[in-house]
Amino acid sequence: MTSQREGSPFAGLSTIALKEAADHMNSIRIHLVMLLVLLTAIGSVYGAIGQIKATVSEDQFLFLRLFTTAQQPLPSFVSFLGFLVPLVAIALGFDAINGEYSRRTLSRILSQPIYRDALLTGKFLGGLLVIAICLLDLWLLVTGLGILVLGLPPSGEEIARGLAFLFASFVYSGVWLAVALAFSTIVKSPATSALCALTAWLLFTVFWPMLAPLIAGAVAPIDPLDPMTAVHQIDIQQALARISPNTLYGEATLALLNPATRSLGLLFTDQLSGAMMGAPLPFSLSVALIWPQLAGMIAALLVLFTIAYVSFQRQEIRA
Amino acid sequence: MIPAGIRAPFSNPTTSLATALVVTGLVATAPEAHAQTAAAVATAQAPTGLWLTTPFPEFSARAGKDVSVPLSLANRGLPPQRVELGVEGLPDGWKWEIDGGGKPVTAAIAGSDNTVGLTLKLTPKAGDVGKALNFAVSGKAGTEALNLPMEMTLAKTEPAKLTLEPKLPALRGTAKSAFDFQVDIKNEGQEDSTVNLLSKAPSGFQVTFKQGYGSQELTSLPLKAGESKTLSVSVQPPENAEAGQYPVGVAASGENVSADTKLLLDITGRPSVALSGPEGRLSGDATAGQERTFTFTLSNSGAAPARDLKLSASPPSGWKVTFNPEKVDEIAPGGTSSVGVSMTPSTQAIAGDYMVSVRANGDGASDSANFRVTVRTSTLWGVTGLGVIGASALMLAFAVTRYGRR
Repeated sequence: MTSQREGSPFAGLSTIALKEAADHMNSIRIHLVMLLVLLTAIGSVYGAIGQIKATVSEDQFLFLRLFTTAQQPLPSFVSFLGFLVPLVAIALGFDAINGEYSRRTLSRILSQPIYRDALLTGKFLGGLLVIAICLLDLWLLVTGLGILVLGLPPSGEEIARGLAFLFASFVYSGVWLAVALAFSTIVKSPATSALCALTAWLLFTVFWPMLAPLIAGAVAPIDPLDPMTAVHQIDIQQALARISPNTLYGEATLALLNPATRSLGLLFTDQLSGAMMGAPLPFSLSVALIWPQLAGMIAALLVLFTIAYVSFQRQEIRA
Repeated sequence: MIPAGIRAPFSNPTTSLATALVVTGLVATAPEAHAQTAAAVATAQAPTGLWLTTPFPEFSARAGKDVSVPLSLANRGLPPQRVELGVEGLPDGWKWEIDGGGKPVTAAIAGSDNTVGLTLKLTPKAGDVGKALNFAVSGKAGTEALNLPMEMTLAKTEPAKLTLEPKLPALRGTAKSAFDFQVDIKNEGQEDSTVNLLSKAPSGFQVTFKQGYGSQELTSLPLKAGESKTLSVSVQPPENAEAGQYPVGVAASGENVSADTKLLLDITGRPSVALSGPEGRLSGDATAGQERTFTFTLSNSGAAPARDLKLSASPPSGWKVTFNPEKVDEIAPGGTSSVGVSMTPSTQAIAGDYMVSVRANGDGASDSANFRVTVRTSTLWGVTGLGVIGASALMLAFAVTRYGRR
């Protein structure tokens, strides 16, 4: 069915990626979304700084508190990011392919000596580049604000954990970019693909935490005479909840930004006997703790991209 | 007892026996005409006249040593009398001096019904010990002369002598306790002296002298003749002193006398065991479900051997802790012994720090150490995660080869 390709399938990849990134940077859409993110981020960090100044007297990881401290009514920076990063990714990717269709520019691009692989990958990488720049900016902004207001430099471990948090956020937004890209290839209309992506986002961020216990309760009902059934149900519920990238991201940030986190699952008291609670975990152990979550998100990203790829490759594009 | 004195002849009550007894050694001179008229009055009244007296007419002194004899010039019922004072009958080269009111005087005036206190100071020269020497203190008052004969014997100089006597010569305690001895020091000679305090103790023992309950350390002590003082001698043995008896010599030396005494410290030893982790650290790491051996060190810093040290641990539940050896029979004072402690964290242990208490219990000595184990979870999940990523990458690669277009 296939025949030998001539030249590299990735010729022109960087041209497309940079052009895509440049287009995004100039679009009003991304400006608006980023403005929203920026305002909420500054607001939550400002609230966190006020809270830290008022309550925390001494803390080994003061800079990490900047990300996780919430002051009513504002949620913490991390929960803002968990909520808004998918929105940015969807805004960047929902019309990546079908937008070209509707503008009737796709066949024009592909008449250039560029493979479809390069076009799809380039659009994905261009979106990732924009997100990476935005996240790095946000991270530097928060850290800089922290140095300015708290008057302390961050320690090496705080920087390492902050960078790991940045990477986790990057992978998380990559997953949502891949979701948006997949919808933009599968669905022909940009409006529908945007709606589909937003539906998925709402499902996983808002409804999935409610649905998971319901499904777990139906799959594994609790027998009041057997306490192990309760444990079993909680295990199933947790496994279901972890389908949502939002849960995975939340667990990853929790372990990275709160070094005292030692486990993310159900714990029995015999596991805690003799344990020194509150002692911070070394960075390497925190990373080992969230590695399954991180690996799951990376794998999900690749699978979603593969779906988009397969769907795109099989499409008739001359229409 | 018997006052020796010279009485003025004009007030001589020759008829009164009682008066005659009081004034023994009187120089009888011819009574004046009015003496008889005064006789009846004299029996009822105190005697009148001028006397030069001393309470100690015979005394002993040591060669080269100043001696002071109190004198008194008394005037009863007479107008003020001027008396020229002098000493007669002393051998050549002897120094004498009569002091009144703190300064040397050669004459004194005794007012009516008044007594003048004087002091005769003599510096005897070396001479025959035990031989009596007669001399007289004389006074010239106008027409008549007063004479006070005195006798001095050169006494033998008693040799200076010091004694040191401990109240409790032997004390018992551990190497860490303070040994406080009370020692009485007495100057039994006749001269004041300043004594130096010396000690001779085994090396490492510190000896300090204090007086009574004072806080100042002493090196020397002034002692008057016949005086006795209580010294507090405290001995601090070195902390690593082994059990046994240690003599400590204490000496006091004066100008040419000295005294010494022996004190005894009976140090009883105790073992003191310390348990320390590998390289002195009290932390280490282990992987959940895998055995890890740490080398603990038992050391005995006491003064007696530590025996029968049994090792035990209170690990978190699900953990296995074994010791190699489980029991240490004996550790000599200052010695150490290594113990291998193998810990196997529970397979269910979560990542992070756990506290394991390790204890060594022996005869009269024990120690425990809280060992902090950082549990690393198995890397199995890391490999699985990589596998998941690899599988999805393979899927992508397959999709690229399968659907890649020309």
